[in-house]
Amino acid sequence: MSRLEAKKPSLCKSEPLTSERVRATLLVLKGIVASCYGPSGRLKQLHNGLGGSVCTTSQSSALLANLSVTHPILKILTTSVQNHVSCFSDCGLFTAILCCNLIENVQRLDLTPTTLIKLNKHLLNLCTSYLQSEVCGCRIPVDFSSTQILLCLVRSVLTSKPACMLTRKEVDHISTLILRAFLLTIPENAGDHISLGSSIIVPLKGQRVVDSTVLPGILIELSEIRLMKILPVKKSDSLKVALFRVSLSGDLSDTGEGSVVVSYGVSLENAVLDQLLNLGRQLVSDHVDLVLCQKVIHPSLKQFLGVHRVLAIDRVGAALMEPLSKVTGTQPIGSLGSISPSSYGSVKDLCTAKFGFKWFLHLIPNEATVCSLLLCNRNGTAWDELKLTCQTALHVLQLTIKEPCVLLGGGCTETHLAAYIRHKTFSDPESILKGSGCTSTELQLITEAFCTALESLTGSLEHDGGEILTDMKYGHFWSVQADSPSDVNWPDLLTRCGCGLHNSREELSWSFLRTARHPFAPRPCLPHEAVGSANNLTLDCFTAKLSGLQVAVETANLILDLSYVIEDKN
Amino acid sequence: MAAGGPVQAALQVAQALETILSGCVGPEGRQVLCTKPTGEVLLSRDGGRLLAALHLEHPLARVMVACVSSHLRKTGDGAKTFIIFLCHLLRGLHAATDKEKDSLISKHSHTQGRHWKTCCRWKFISQALLRFQTQVLDRVVDQCLSRHFLSIFSSSTKGRRLCRSSFQLLLEAYFGGRVGRNNHSFISQLMCDYFFQCMACESGCEEVSELVDDCFVELNIGVTGLPVSDSRILAGLVLHRDFSVYCPADGDIRIAFVTETIQPLFSSSGSEFILNSEAQFQTSQFWIMERTKAIMKSLQSQNVKLLLSSVKQPDLVIYYAGLNGISVVECLSSEEMSLIQRIIGLSPFVLPQASSQYEISSAALVKFCKPLILRSKRYVHLGLISTCSFIPHCMVLCAPVQGLVEQHEGALHGAFKMLRQLFKDLDLSYTTQTSGQNYTSSPLIYKNRESNQLPEIVSGSIQRPPQGTVEKNEGELAKTHTYLKVHSNLVVPSVGSETCISCSTPKVIPADTHQTDETRRCLSANKTRIIDDRDSFIESDPTTESTAENTRVEASYENLSITKMAGKGSMLPVRCKPLEMGASQSYSFSSIPAGCVLPVGGNFEILLHYYLLNYVKKCQQSEAAMVGMIIANALLGIPRILYKSRKGNRSFPQVYVRALHVLQTNQPMGSSQTGLESVSGKYQLLTSVLHCLAKILTIDLVISIKRQPQEIYDQESEEEL
Repeated sequence: MSRLEAKKPSLCKSEPLTSERVRATLLVLKGIVASCYGPSGRLKQLHNGLGGSVCTTSQSSALLANLSVTHPILKILTTSVQNHVSCFSDCGLFTAILCCNLIENVQRLDLTPTTLIKLNKHLLNLCTSYLQSEVCGCRIPVDFSSTQILLCLVRSVLTSKPACMLTRKEVDHISTLILRAFLLTIPENAGDHISLGSSIIVPLKGQRVVDSTVLPGILIELSEIRLMKILPVKKSDSLKVALFRVSLSGDLSDTGEGSVVVSYGVSLENAVLDQLLNLGRQLVSDHVDLVLCQKVIHPSLKQFLGVHRVLAIDRVGAALMEPLSKVTGTQPIGSLGSISPSSYGSVKDLCTAKFGFKWFLHLIPNEATVCSLLLCNRNGTAWDELKLTCQTALHVLQLTIKEPCVLLGGGCTETHLAAYIRHKTFSDPESILKGSGCTSTELQLITEAFCTALESLTGSLEHDGGEILTDMKYGHFWSVQADSPSDVNWPDLLTRCGCGLHNSREELSWSFLRTARHPFAPRPCLPHEAVGSANNLTLDCFTAKLSGLQVAVETANLILDLSYVIEDKN
Repeated sequence: MAAGGPVQAALQVAQALETILSGCVGPEGRQVLCTKPTGEVLLSRDGGRLLAALHLEHPLARVMVACVSSHLRKTGDGAKTFIIFLCHLLRGLHAATDKEKDSLISKHSHTQGRHWKTCCRWKFISQALLRFQTQVLDRVVDQCLSRHFLSIFSSSTKGRRLCRSSFQLLLEAYFGGRVGRNNHSFISQLMCDYFFQCMACESGCEEVSELVDDCFVELNIGVTGLPVSDSRILAGLVLHRDFSVYCPADGDIRIAFVTETIQPLFSSSGSEFILNSEAQFQTSQFWIMERTKAIMKSLQSQNVKLLLSSVKQPDLVIYYAGLNGISVVECLSSEEMSLIQRIIGLSPFVLPQASSQYEISSAALVKFCKPLILRSKRYVHLGLISTCSFIPHCMVLCAPVQGLVEQHEGALHGAFKMLRQLFKDLDLSYTTQTSGQNYTSSPLIYKNRESNQLPEIVSGSIQRPPQGTVEKNEGELAKTHTYLKVHSNLVVPSVGSETCISCSTPKVIPADTHQTDETRRCLSANKTRIIDDRDSFIESDPTTESTAENTRVEASYENLSITKMAGKGSMLPVRCKPLEMGASQSYSFSSIPAGCVLPVGGNFEILLHYYLLNYVKKCQQSEAAMVGMIIANALLGIPRILYKSRKGNRSFPQVYVRALHVLQTNQPMGSSQTGLESVSGKYQLLTSVLHCLAKILTIDLVISIKRQPQEIYDQESEEEL
């Protein structure tokens, strides 16, 4: 019984955004996320004073999950980013920084919230329709006949997470592994309805990263090496597998709501064990080679099966049940009695393998879309980060299959987009303002705030005090190192733009991002052959970034629209 | 509290609430962020939610919140307007009684006695309010206001047909006040599409709105982390859980329902199962297995491909279902079960006791049955074939944060509640005479008023009452005066009659002079009858209109009316027809007919204000006149907030004057606003507020008790000692 208590009255505050405290906390949050952004982002170490594990990260998912945020406005912002990340895995920091920038920039303007929100929404619509249109200059279609773009995409994901502590060689290794793992999940003969398989990430900490590998099928960790000795003899070209969902421990589960009275001298344990051994006999007579059980197998049954050279593995766990059933083609068995022969499955082969200090049983499938990615990294924290990164990369690849295009990374999409928006609102303000009831001055102000938010987001890529520039032709992002000698003409220091598509040998003119410049129409990127030839592009996931952009603007609008905060103090 | 009486205390509370809520009113309203004690954050513009989130301590505030929430449960709309209107009413009452109080204080120095007298007077007023609502307001709405009603049903055919464009306007206005500014048009479009997709036939709108309102939770899925624009409608029903077993099946799929486990158990509740030997145990287990197998086999032989269960089924059942190609969904909630049964009209499959036959009596088919993955969460997607006028569809509501999803859910649910009310006739009580001596004199006034009103309506123009009736009115003044005295005697039987009369007389007298003043002015206006029709009642409006405003209004009045008339033409022809239909219906039934709407932007309030003022002018009863005046003025509070941010031509005084002019010259009302709102909803709100006010006024003393808090909720009834 819970104790009833009178509710305390809530605390009600008006115009939350004008409060100095809120602004300060928003700035702190922005500082945290912005400093993590990009390949040269700074790492954050999260720990509590009482001990426990330490988390070193620069990823939004790990960062925001561990950060305890108290102010409701920040909570809205962080949960919104976290929800985005759980949907798309990628572009969390992008969303967070853009949202903070927008709130900060737009709030400075002395305009009514209605106008702000309306125009923000208009600008967002401009962005999304441009990004989705064919003429978009920062979008590249994905050619699935070669792995180059996909590899670039995976590599960009890996390099943007510095806390994985990978060398360049290791990045190459892991990105090929990830791509291979992904390709293994694609069914070979697909019908109308394609369902991708899954890649299971198997942890192996304390090993070299280059020892990581990807294997088709499933790896089950073995605690007892002695099981190796009783590996079933392969009688035919495949091994018969039975997969049990029901517990084989001999417990009497559901007897109903009434009571069961057992007479003296009657041993139910024996009765159940008899039943189990009968089951074992049936399995043996059905020539089953491998018995897998989600729950526990009774030791007697295990021994009985062992005697008959049937390998029995229990405590597989609920998480592995679905992939196992997929790999072996079994129907998970829920009965201790007669087993229909149709519920057995098979594997091509079975072997034990040692990776690092661990022994694994490797189920090699005949044909399946499940693979295991054995992931190694030197220590626990770096492994955790690498695992998250690999999951992100795999997810990004899945998203790219659904929407076969990628965006230019390295800040080029953002600067390009900002240039496009500036040009659009400068050249054709009437079409945007039509029916909105806002003036063109208001539009210019908001456009400036919006574009600066995008551009200062790319500025967060540069952490070492370097200069950031944009070219006046494509609207791409360029950066100059901070420690460059002052007597050199700075355009000579530029080599490649952020995404790597353009180099400085072209006749380009540059302008500092922080200075005002005349609006210009950014040119679309090079023809496709040029894209094909350029390797080492930095690319971003289209779906994730588009949604991140939308979520950032929507969340910023939401926060700008708040007139009161009511805090429940119970 | 004793000094100010309930009005002052209530006014303070209501004003505090008003400041919070008025920020969220109308299309320009902003959001409020609420945190829950669990740490979740909720975004809301829903007045009811905000009031609940405040956890108010003040007893009167709690009375108000309780009234608001009971109103919301009924109509699903109007919490913010409720508070604003209540606040204005209290202000009006406070102002109207302030002067009298001064005289009261000088007369009676004994505080205790004074307290009781004020209380008694408040009680008197509160009864007058309720009487006014049933006798006057209902009639005004029915006879005067109904001329302006539009309908969301198009009148072209015999049967009612929902007019899509009007429906859209209605929803747009509704969501404009409920969801964020940049989402309201999207959400209202979504809802409109949803409603029309769900409706099997044109006449089914009532049933659809009822069903969706009842089962709203089961008919939508919230998805966080996606932009709002990804929200969509899915054909079919989505169950909020995954398949236990999924076997892909094509074509028409038969489904079966169970409410118990298919696998027989050893013992049912209340019985004992006695095991005498191990063999017995094994045979019973074998029997259980065989029987389960047989049941599943027979289901398969009857082509059942999907089993829906309200309980968890044992592994054995799942196994045999998988073997027989039957998909299983377990642990359905009772709401989901009842919704499915409502849609396809299927009763659960009862397991026969005898093992001979497992025939399923009723056959239900689904078009498809497949897993649906939304944001890596799995759902069951069923293409149910409906047997009622509701074609199942689900709404997928996406938003970056859960708080926003909840806001949209709340708004949509409220919209269905509002529609449900709108599709029903709202009965008005004015034709029925309430029994009791209090009302003895009402037929008299009745007749008199009828004679005033009828020519107005027939001719359709608003004119001064003819000289004769006014004289008659004057003659009756004396009568009403005496009646009032008698009346006050009857109302408060518990208190000494002497004090009662003495406390009610000061009230009657000034009101009376007011009345005569009014009549005099009417007479004078009659002589110079052209100009100052409007002038007279703006001046008689005691609380709000400052003289400065008045003169300004005067100045701009002439030229405005002309431009307005020119601009009106476009709106008019579309609406003429349903307008007449609505009017004629209301005459015969004395109710607000289903589907009646008015343009948004304070039209209802301004119209009612106008007709109430008209009534007040002709009214002989001083208390009714006072109550009418207060209500009429309070009504304007809402349009005033709606037009707060508008400037120039669209500011409130301008709109108000224009509307009055249009009414006087008997032109049809036009509106600059696009959007419609339900009349019955508005009117219900008005009556709820009046009831709430009456309740507050009757409270004379709040006694705090030290008991369990849940019993404090019964406070209202315990207070009247």
